[in-house]
Amino acid sequence: MALFAPAARDAALNDGTTEALRSQVAAKWGEAFARLNRAEPGIQGLMEFSQAWGMAKEYLRPRDIMNPADVRPDYNISLIRHAFDLVGQSRRLPVLLEGLIEQTRQAFPLVERTIHYHLQVYEATEPRDPREIARLVQALRRWYDAWLPWSELGVTICGTFTLHFHTLLFAALPPSFITGFKHLCACTLPNIHADSTVPGSADNAALDNADPTHFAFRIWDTFDALGMLDRYETVIASVGYEYIERVMRATCAGVWGKAVMPELRRWVAVRVKPWLRSVYAKDIEDDQAAMTAIQTVSSRFDFHVAKTLCDLRISELFDIIIDYPDSAPCLEDIKECLVRVDGRASLVQALRKANRKRLLHPGADTRLILQQYVLTIKCLRAIDPQGVLLFKVADPIRRYLRERPDTIRCIVANLVGGSGDSEDDILGETEPPAPLHQPELEDYTDPNWEPEPLDAGPDFRANRPADVISTLVSIYDSRDLFVKELQVLLAQRLLKGGGDAPEKERRNVEILKIRFGDAALQVCEVMLKDMGDSRRTDVHVQGQENLGVLHPTIISRHFWPAVEGAEFKLPGQFERLQSSYAKQYTLFKPDKKLRWLPHLGTVSLELELEDRTVRVQVPPLEAAFIELFSEQDTWTVPALIERLGKITRAAALKALLTWVNHGVIKETEEDTYVLLERAESEGGQGDARKLQAKQRLVEQEAGAGGGQEEGREEERRREEGRREMDVYWKFIQGMLTNLPNLPLERIHAMLGFVDTYNLTTEQLAGLLDAARREGLVDVKEGLWKLVIK
Amino acid sequence: MEMTASAVPARAAPKATAAAPSQQAAGSVTKRLGNELMTLMMSSSPGISAFPKNDGNLFDWTGTIEGAPGTIYDGLKFKISIHFPSNYPYTAPAIKFDTPCFHPNVALDSGAICLDILQDKWSAVYSVQTILISLQSLLGEPNNASPLNNDAAALWARPDAFKAQLMRHYRPVE
Repeated sequence: MALFAPAARDAALNDGTTEALRSQVAAKWGEAFARLNRAEPGIQGLMEFSQAWGMAKEYLRPRDIMNPADVRPDYNISLIRHAFDLVGQSRRLPVLLEGLIEQTRQAFPLVERTIHYHLQVYEATEPRDPREIARLVQALRRWYDAWLPWSELGVTICGTFTLHFHTLLFAALPPSFITGFKHLCACTLPNIHADSTVPGSADNAALDNADPTHFAFRIWDTFDALGMLDRYETVIASVGYEYIERVMRATCAGVWGKAVMPELRRWVAVRVKPWLRSVYAKDIEDDQAAMTAIQTVSSRFDFHVAKTLCDLRISELFDIIIDYPDSAPCLEDIKECLVRVDGRASLVQALRKANRKRLLHPGADTRLILQQYVLTIKCLRAIDPQGVLLFKVADPIRRYLRERPDTIRCIVANLVGGSGDSEDDILGETEPPAPLHQPELEDYTDPNWEPEPLDAGPDFRANRPADVISTLVSIYDSRDLFVKELQVLLAQRLLKGGGDAPEKERRNVEILKIRFGDAALQVCEVMLKDMGDSRRTDVHVQGQENLGVLHPTIISRHFWPAVEGAEFKLPGQFERLQSSYAKQYTLFKPDKKLRWLPHLGTVSLELELEDRTVRVQVPPLEAAFIELFSEQDTWTVPALIERLGKITRAAALKALLTWVNHGVIKETEEDTYVLLERAESEGGQGDARKLQAKQRLVEQEAGAGGGQEEGREEERRREEGRREMDVYWKFIQGMLTNLPNLPLERIHAMLGFVDTYNLTTEQLAGLLDAARREGLVDVKEGLWKLVIK
Repeated sequence: MEMTASAVPARAAPKATAAAPSQQAAGSVTKRLGNELMTLMMSSSPGISAFPKNDGNLFDWTGTIEGAPGTIYDGLKFKISIHFPSNYPYTAPAIKFDTPCFHPNVALDSGAICLDILQDKWSAVYSVQTILISLQSLLGEPNNASPLNNDAAALWARPDAFKAQLMRHYRPVE
């Protein structure tokens, strides 16, 4: 049967299935009925369940709270609970919850409408009003509260609802909400205005009408209920950070006169921590427990305070250094912050950048650069006693200073000029003079020895705290340069200074001896001794023959730096005085001879004119001129120059102008001056103007002719160039003596023996050509040879 | 010696270390010669001069010595060549006359010079300049006790005959 009647078999199978199904369905049915009807008689239980289901469903249905007709009626809580219990007993709760979820989803457009409405209002108003967001949040809260089942109904129901409400809510909130949310959170922070610890800030808090704490409490509670605290944790934190940053910008920027860190700490404790507590630990009554609860968050905020301060100070560091020592207290802040925040690299970078931009350019005076360098040394040493920061920052400054031609002079001027002249004193020296610091090996036996910091590079030299002068001197590899410059400066000061100059310089030299050592300053010693000897010699010479007014300073040519000579001869009585003095001196010191430097020194003159006596102190050249005017009343400038010998026209005009200013002579016509035996009535305006014009002209001429400092600098450079050329020429001579007939290229190549040789072949050709014109060399078919005289 | 040599097989490393100091030494010799050249150029001593023959090689110089005024060599110019050894200044430079020089202490054909400071009396404190000055003074004041050129030594007492012989061999420097 089974083999030959498939249809029948199928039928049989169908029959079998139907049978089984039927019995199964019947069993299920019976079971379901038993479950729903429980043990009630008839369908009593079923009826009860149906009622309970309907009630529960109706209870859970989300209402439109905007519709006054659709308000959840006042249910009898015990009835509702009974209904839910019944559904629970009948194991229909999951189905009910599914329905709840679906219903909530379907009703959610109502909430979305609220969101859009409030956000639109918020975005439309200008300035934006965070109260609108608060209203939105509160409205959301109302929806939530309205839909939230009683908590008595069990965690499952409430939990399921809350989870799905949150999910739908966050899906519905547009990104623009975050902005508003931030705004609102910011308003919950202590008002910067009202904060006594935070002086004057221009921030306007929109919620100043409400009591902030109360308001804040409500709002945080609402946020919590809507799940926003967890969801927007980073946003809330960033609000706090921004608040801190804003307050610090307002209160700390530019405030360097005191350490602000302790104050900030206090402020954080008083203002920020309570806020944190209201956000994260609002339910905890006990202070101690609350503080423990916000421990992690508040330590993050502490770090942010340090970081913000560090960044702020790093950006201000250049100015802080300028203000040192007034800004010293804030260095403590930086030091403290750097311990907590890793800002060393950015500090170095920022300061180097600032230095490059603001300091190391041609517009800055060398003195200023040195001053800033010295202050940088002091500041960075305060921040980082190990000196790694300083080493990294100082390097470009030192390199730049090395390239400046007047650095040495500037340092030396400050080494010498330390006392008195406060304006010139870049060192602000308080340290006692000490021998110059020598780089020494590390003393590993020192119990206080510390390893170099991590960020010390391989070329970091462990500069044990050396004094500022040592650091400055160490800009250059050699100290000889300083000693040489010291001599030049000392010479200038001794020759220029009055009678007490040697005493003052003696003190300086003694101080410098401590720094540079006795041997280096031996020459200075001789110079000072010359000053004393001059006085003794003078006393002696004056004792032999009263020469009255002439008191020469006799300097030893070998020990003094070359004094540039202005070769002119003093006329008249000056010359007579000089020669008698020289005679007496030779008698006193037979092996020595005086060579006068007539352009140095000063002359006190008393001019007796017909109607007046003029007492002045003038340089010798001026004195020489007026001496000439005592010979005859009228002189022309060329005649004056001829009489005195090698003086420049600019110098002569300057000297004459001095007398014109004194009203002793006047210019009658171009280049002709007349002595005024009788004072002219105070010159008319025309005269004054002419005088000024003349003065300008003279100054211009002096400038062009190399009159003052710049001129001398120029002169020196030219001199250097000449010396270079001289070396090249000597080499050319040497090579042509031994290797006659050299082509230009060979000469060029051979000059490579001179380390400093930097001429191009064209320049060399020019040099050779100049020599050829002077008849020193000759060229034939491109081969150069010396002309033998 | 042999023990150590066999125990330690020859490796490249010792060779390299051996080469390094000599290079270093060459550097310092070059430096010294450069300084001497600078000093010589800047000193401008009359009648003596020397200069490297080629750029880039400071070890071979050519020099010129003029007879000092008042001596028999007055007005004559002699070329010399100077070769500095690689361990200069611990060893004297090799110097010879290129211009034939009829002189008791100079070999006429080879130009070799018999001067104590160029042989056993050499000291590192001498320089090109002192050598040249010594040679210049040697021209006027020969050491007849140890002649290289016996004829010249014999003739020294008779200036006229000496001068004749001198001029017979002398070829003027271009």
